[in-house]
Amino acid sequence: MAITRRGFLKGILATSASTLIGPSLLAVANDAAAAETAGTWKVSGSHWGAFRARVYGGKVQEIKAFEADKYPTDMLNGIKGIIYSPSRIRYPMVRYDWYLKRNKSDTTQRGDNRFIRVTWDEALDLFYQELERVQKDYGPWALHAGQTGWRQTGQVHSCGNHMQRAVSMHGFSVNKVGDYSTGAGQTIMPYVLGTTEVYAQGTSWPLILDNSKTIILWATDLVKNLQVGWACETHESFEYLEQLKDKVASKQIRVISVDPVRTKTQKYLDCEQQYVNPQADVPFMLAIAHTLYNEELYDKKFLSTYALGFEEFIPYVTGESKDKVEKTPEWAEAICGVPAEDIREFARLLASDRTQLIFGWCIQRQQHGEQPYWMGAVIAAMLGQIGLPGGGVSYAHHYSSIGVPSTGAASPGAFPRNPDKPNERVHMNQDFKGYSSTIPVARWIDAILEPGKVINANGAKITLPDIKMMVFSGCNPWHHHQDRNRMKKAFHKLETVVSIDFTWTASCRFSDIVLPACTQWERNDIDLYGSYSNRGIIAMHKLVDPLYQSKTDFEIFTLLTQRFGKSKEYTQGKSEMDWVKQLYDECAAANKGKFDMPDFMTFWKEGWVDFGKGPNWTRQAAFREDPEINALGTPSGFIEIFSRKIDRYGYDDCQGHPMWFEKAERSHGGPGSEEFPIWLQSCHPDKRLHSQMCDSEEFRATYAVQGREPLYINPEDAKKRGINDGDLVRVFNKRGQLLAGAVVSEDYAKGVARLQEGAWYGPVDESIGALDTYGDPNTLTMDIGSSQLAQATSANTCLVQYEKFEGKAPAVSSFGGPKEMA
Amino acid sequence: MKNMLKKFWLIVSKPSVHLSFGFLTIGGFVAGIIFWGGFNTALEATNTEEFCIGCHEMADNVYVELQDTVHWKNNSGVRATCPDCHVPHNWTDKIARKMQASKEVYGKIFGTISTREKFLEKRGELAQHEWDRFTANNSLECKNCHDYNSMDFDSMSERAQVQMKMAAERDQSCIDCHKGIAHHLPDNMNSGEGTLAKLEEMATSGYKKGESYFSVRQLPLFTNSELNEEAGQLNAATEVKILEVKGDAIKVEIDAWRKTKGFGRVLFEDFAMNINDGYLTKEVAQAEGSMTKGETKEDDLTGLPWQKVSVELWMRNGSLTDSRDTLWTFAKTTYDSACSVCHTQPAENHFDTNTWPGMFNGMLSFVNLDGDTQALVLKYLQKHSSDFSDAGH
Repeated sequence: MAITRRGFLKGILATSASTLIGPSLLAVANDAAAAETAGTWKVSGSHWGAFRARVYGGKVQEIKAFEADKYPTDMLNGIKGIIYSPSRIRYPMVRYDWYLKRNKSDTTQRGDNRFIRVTWDEALDLFYQELERVQKDYGPWALHAGQTGWRQTGQVHSCGNHMQRAVSMHGFSVNKVGDYSTGAGQTIMPYVLGTTEVYAQGTSWPLILDNSKTIILWATDLVKNLQVGWACETHESFEYLEQLKDKVASKQIRVISVDPVRTKTQKYLDCEQQYVNPQADVPFMLAIAHTLYNEELYDKKFLSTYALGFEEFIPYVTGESKDKVEKTPEWAEAICGVPAEDIREFARLLASDRTQLIFGWCIQRQQHGEQPYWMGAVIAAMLGQIGLPGGGVSYAHHYSSIGVPSTGAASPGAFPRNPDKPNERVHMNQDFKGYSSTIPVARWIDAILEPGKVINANGAKITLPDIKMMVFSGCNPWHHHQDRNRMKKAFHKLETVVSIDFTWTASCRFSDIVLPACTQWERNDIDLYGSYSNRGIIAMHKLVDPLYQSKTDFEIFTLLTQRFGKSKEYTQGKSEMDWVKQLYDECAAANKGKFDMPDFMTFWKEGWVDFGKGPNWTRQAAFREDPEINALGTPSGFIEIFSRKIDRYGYDDCQGHPMWFEKAERSHGGPGSEEFPIWLQSCHPDKRLHSQMCDSEEFRATYAVQGREPLYINPEDAKKRGINDGDLVRVFNKRGQLLAGAVVSEDYAKGVARLQEGAWYGPVDESIGALDTYGDPNTLTMDIGSSQLAQATSANTCLVQYEKFEGKAPAVSSFGGPKEMA
Repeated sequence: MKNMLKKFWLIVSKPSVHLSFGFLTIGGFVAGIIFWGGFNTALEATNTEEFCIGCHEMADNVYVELQDTVHWKNNSGVRATCPDCHVPHNWTDKIARKMQASKEVYGKIFGTISTREKFLEKRGELAQHEWDRFTANNSLECKNCHDYNSMDFDSMSERAQVQMKMAAERDQSCIDCHKGIAHHLPDNMNSGEGTLAKLEEMATSGYKKGESYFSVRQLPLFTNSELNEEAGQLNAATEVKILEVKGDAIKVEIDAWRKTKGFGRVLFEDFAMNINDGYLTKEVAQAEGSMTKGETKEDDLTGLPWQKVSVELWMRNGSLTDSRDTLWTFAKTTYDSACSVCHTQPAENHFDTNTWPGMFNGMLSFVNLDGDTQALVLKYLQKHSSDFSDAGH
């Protein structure tokens, strides 16, 4: 910047003027604002990002985004509503009939929401006695304490760790493998590309922006999903999305969203859409492979150097093997709804220049969800750009700021999940009586309903255990599991269910003992700032004391372990602040010489440590550079287009290479679409983190329709049913029924509807088939495994019908806690 | 004193009566130049090697050590002097460093490191200051001569290529890996913090000919007993048989399997099991007679041909242990704590040997493990997988 003499003088004048008049003006402002600014500002974090909160009069008054967060989410406006929600669990509660008859209770009453208030001592005694009874009368096979989910943030109080550490000190129990978000993806991808892919760092955005000519967003809604993160979210990805928007506008990068819905991202970027019929991505992809092969647009050299099994796969495409059907674009058109010529053009576009494929998780949360992921890798291998910046395939750029370069700094550990003395548990019985000790996460309801049944899973035989008791912490299975009415049947068979939570979820309603934890803002903690970028460490100052009779998870399980003489091992003799400081100091030691961290007290006062920005990185570049030394984690070390290992499992629903399998239910002419013509998509919500924040009253009111969860529908579909925007609708199929509020929008194709998952279940009563009053999509979804390989959730394989709701609507029953019995 | 200051202030604050405005401004300017010149000359004088070794603390300790290194004597005749590495080249940083150096003057006066013993005791702390400085400026003084962009990777040994390319990609700080390149390392480095030290502590000594041992970490392999011709790298927890002990070097035999697709550089512990034993350079892997070749079998599950091989190579005497038990205990503890931060860690025997690398690699973003520990934990998991224990489900 050039400085002129005139400009310099003007600057001096301006500076002195403001110095002169500044204080007097400020004094006036101070008086007026005193009532609204008094109190203390504290820093904390969350899945929604870091923030500063003003605390005054023992209450959180105001929340503003952390100054380092340049793209904060409006969900920060929901935080106060979580703390002061009418759904907060205030006291330890026990289900009325269970309190009277314990494990001999009438379990068909579960879900009637009638509870009785007890003291902490009594509640913890009951919890402990039940653990004892189940270990003594049955054994470890009868206890399942392994369901986990999205806890609140904070590494010391990570609640799943607390519950599992305490329960493990008492004895063994049934465990789980996988999760509800990526079950099929994380199981298939190690066979194909050698890692789970879904949880691995991806190519850095700056490299994608510099090198990609075409970006395919395949069923991924970055702008919606990047609002939340596994650790404290930084929202650094949005800076790159902003640059991408500019590049789309200036036609430097072509972005196409492959999706039956116009996504938030598509609208933000103002990019193109390639519509595909729901669940019909694989035929579309097979036809792309057909075009690439027939028009010789594929990279033969790449395939021969880096991949195995193309020769075994291609006869399936050309119609010489398996079903003997040639996978031509004309064949695909009939299923996926994309004109054959458009498929050819699409394939040619992919091969024309550098193309980055970016997949979301929705298309693997369906029956045969392994196939589209595997087929995505096959197309990427045929294009031959895996390992190049801005090329290849990603399965996670929508998640926790993946794609923001990592600083490489060490992150804080966590309160230990495992017992310190694993061989000195109260009960050492490890006899699972022939049942499996680990089950695929989504198959626990199957286990309760059909104990002893043997199922296939990822090459193993699983004997489903006879579960009698469940313990839930940091998860809400009555949101994340499928088919509520089937769950009710299963819960009739359980003897005891314990929930530890801060808010009265449907899981609490279907429990017997409910213990009130405090929220993450009622305790001190630390967290990683930026799950994959490792941007820094954030302090989480306690904003207010635990509300009502709630306690920290640390205190709850210290009190539980006291009952079997393990509290000393549990706490290691350390207090909450000792643990916070220890995690910080261990992290500082690991970073020593690489990232300087101030002493703990300085950090705690400042509120955070910034590690800066990391260097750019390209996924699979090392493998491309030297496939021998940097072999993939697949059985062969190469990309496996054909997996002999999977082939030999002999599963009919997941064979040696990616294939098209018809679904149990599919819209647009598929099975079941005559009776139930609408595909119900239950994607991750835009205004919640799964079911977290649904209990935030004012914030929920900003998107609810007549107090119900919005059902997004197509205008033509709505008109046919006489439904207007804002009407109440009844959505139903053979599995269940619910009420929702119609939002009519051109963004949704004909035959497509969206209900976002995480909407709180609120049935009119506990009976099977009862109408859900708020709009939880899992009232309607199907509870089947994706295939015998992953046995993952198939939530997006779901057909429904809907109609305008006439008559008097029952009140929403999801929120506000239990009916307290005297 | 107070009065004197007052007097001085009165004099300098009074407007000049005798001297012209021009003399004061121009004269002041000239005086400034002279002063500046003098200051800079003096400063530059402190920037010469003669000045640095002017005191015996430097001359007797670090300077002598430098003379055994490549920065003192090499085939191109380019030499690094003390200030090349230890004084920032840009002016502001240089002044800042000089201000810091006043501490060294204090040390000189009070004899903090006046004897070799005192120096050795203090070396760790002194070295750490320099390492911290190099870390903070990303090894700027090294990079003034050694530029990643000007490196010819192809002319490097294969092992160096792998490491240097990775480092270049991240513009890594040179000192991360090259501590002790110009002076001796502090004595207590190995008993200090850090996993490497912990691993080294597990090593035993006095290896007997004909006996088998296991590497405590990743170790370089050589074709000769002088240990200057690189042959590859031995992975952690790999079994080797001692053939010969020759001073600092030992000759070992590695019995392994390899895939014959590609150059056959990677050694595996057993047929069709991707348990990494280490890798060889292209030359060693391809050379006739560099190894005894045994039977060849096709792995049914991948269709790849495997060959049994026995390789005899040299390595540094040390970093071996007679049993894998202590290594496994360390690996298990690390696995149990590091991999339960986000979720319950899967049982070791939940996956088979060849599935573990994929599962393990997919989760690495979330754990703070260095390369040696990663390799050790992965091998532990593979050796305790469902292929070796059937109670997995």
